[in-house]
Amino acid sequence: MLLKLQNVYKTYNLGEEGVHAVEDVSLDIKEKEFVSILGTSGSGKSTLMYLIGLLEQPTSGKIFLEGKDVSKLSDNQLSLIRNNTVGFIFQQFNLISKFTVLENIMMPAGYSKGKLDFDPKIRALELLKRFKMLERKDFFPNKISGGQQQRVAIARALLMKPKLILADEPTGNLDSKTGEEILKLLEELNKEEKVTIILVTHDREIAKRTKRQIYIKDGLIVDKYI
Amino acid sequence: MSNYKNWKDLVKSAFADFGRNKTRTALTSLGITIGVLSVVLLIALGLGLKNYINQQFESLGANLVMVMPGNAFSSEGGGMRSMGTSFMGITFTEQDYLALNRIGDIDYLTPMFIKSGVVEANNKQKTGYIEGGNEDMPKLMGLEMIIGEFFTKADVQSRSKKVVLGYTLAETLFGDPKDAYGKSVNVDNQRYRVIGVTDKKGDPDMDDALLMPYKTTFGTINPDKTFYAIYAGISSKDKVSQVKEEMKQTLLKKYKKDEFSVVEQTEILDTINQIFGVINAVLVAIGSISLLVGGIGIMNIMYATVTERTKEIGIRRAIGATQKDIMMQFLAESVTLSILGGILGLLIAALLV
Repeated sequence: MLLKLQNVYKTYNLGEEGVHAVEDVSLDIKEKEFVSILGTSGSGKSTLMYLIGLLEQPTSGKIFLEGKDVSKLSDNQLSLIRNNTVGFIFQQFNLISKFTVLENIMMPAGYSKGKLDFDPKIRALELLKRFKMLERKDFFPNKISGGQQQRVAIARALLMKPKLILADEPTGNLDSKTGEEILKLLEELNKEEKVTIILVTHDREIAKRTKRQIYIKDGLIVDKYI
Repeated sequence: MSNYKNWKDLVKSAFADFGRNKTRTALTSLGITIGVLSVVLLIALGLGLKNYINQQFESLGANLVMVMPGNAFSSEGGGMRSMGTSFMGITFTEQDYLALNRIGDIDYLTPMFIKSGVVEANNKQKTGYIEGGNEDMPKLMGLEMIIGEFFTKADVQSRSKKVVLGYTLAETLFGDPKDAYGKSVNVDNQRYRVIGVTDKKGDPDMDDALLMPYKTTFGTINPDKTFYAIYAGISSKDKVSQVKEEMKQTLLKKYKKDEFSVVEQTEILDTINQIFGVINAVLVAIGSISLLVGGIGIMNIMYATVTERTKEIGIRRAIGATQKDIMMQFLAESVTLSILGGILGLLIAALLV
């Protein structure tokens, strides 16, 4: 089991009353799985993703990553796990505009605390070559297309050879043809790189591309997507 | 625990950000630039003033003892009250000079008269200092001749109308200072012959001076036959305090204790250095205020920047940056900005000073 959530709550204090963004969520995600979390906006799917990605800590309940309880770790420990175990892909690509494509991809290596068993620059160039973007390595993000930016973001997510990739609406800002290319790329990575991918989306058609769907509504896991 | 790779990377990243926000970067470091500039300039101003005064004193001969009215610079008195009396106090007479001249261990001794006056020559005129003394003046005041020679003891005794011009005065009146030699100059419709010109000293008292035998001043220039000071030179350092005491005793026969003072130039220098120490401290304090304001400017901008760049911070957090990493990044930017501003301030100060 790669990831296990046990009765996880995330409560935000709005005024006097607490609001449960995520309520009593328990779920298991196996290694090498390609799974989607499907929900409308405001359903709590983003909060769930931040919890899985260790950007937020649960109010109560437990999260296990590779069997280890990560719900009570310090900022340094959580950052270390985010750095070498989790990769993020966002709807807005979220590249840093003042850095080139290659510099963006290599950024996670800058935050790694230990010695790497690979050269981050060589790996970044390999990923660019694989995504057919080698000739764009010195471009700034605003000079390349949306699809290309998302491929750079995927390369950045893959740099540290993560076990888990979290993709938040990765096709939301792309036209359907480019979106299709990105989805194919994710499927390919899931198969060939043996990386677990959690796809967070509101789009039923996109969710259908994954082998398993998890539905979320008002912070609760439900059986059917309504 | 390592930081975001190392300082080199942090600074490189900071520069990348500056490139994107050139105006903001320039304006932010401007505060520090002006702060550093004002500190440096004010310190330079204070030190320059102090050095100038010190130089003026050093240009006088060694082991110079001055007899002056009041107790302006004496160690027991001092302060503003006595400063005032020195301008209004007693004046010395030729008898005082002659009395002091009897003290054995004084090697050089001259009475000092000074008054500003118009010097005319060559159809030009210039206001300078008419100074009276004797043949010991060059030794006591460290004067070098560029042409001619100084008046002699015989010139003093015979009230001869021979004068020595300061470098600047000679230059103004004759163009080339050396041309003044042998020419005549007029002061108060009296004609005097120039027998020498002194080298530049950087001191207006000397460079704009017309030096003449003190007895020659006793006519229309110094009808009261008084002197504002008497300068004594003592070759042997060991004898200075003993001779000073003898000078005091001599003068006490005629004047009261606080009507005059016998001081070494080093004592005056100490007092002046003390005053300039305080002035410098005040100047540095004023400069530091502008530096502080510059620093607060950087704090403000960095605070605004953090708010502006929450998205970038979020991305960096997602790929594994700790809170400390983020803090180091912004700290590196502030420090780099401050250092850049400081270096710029120093460069501008170096150009100006």
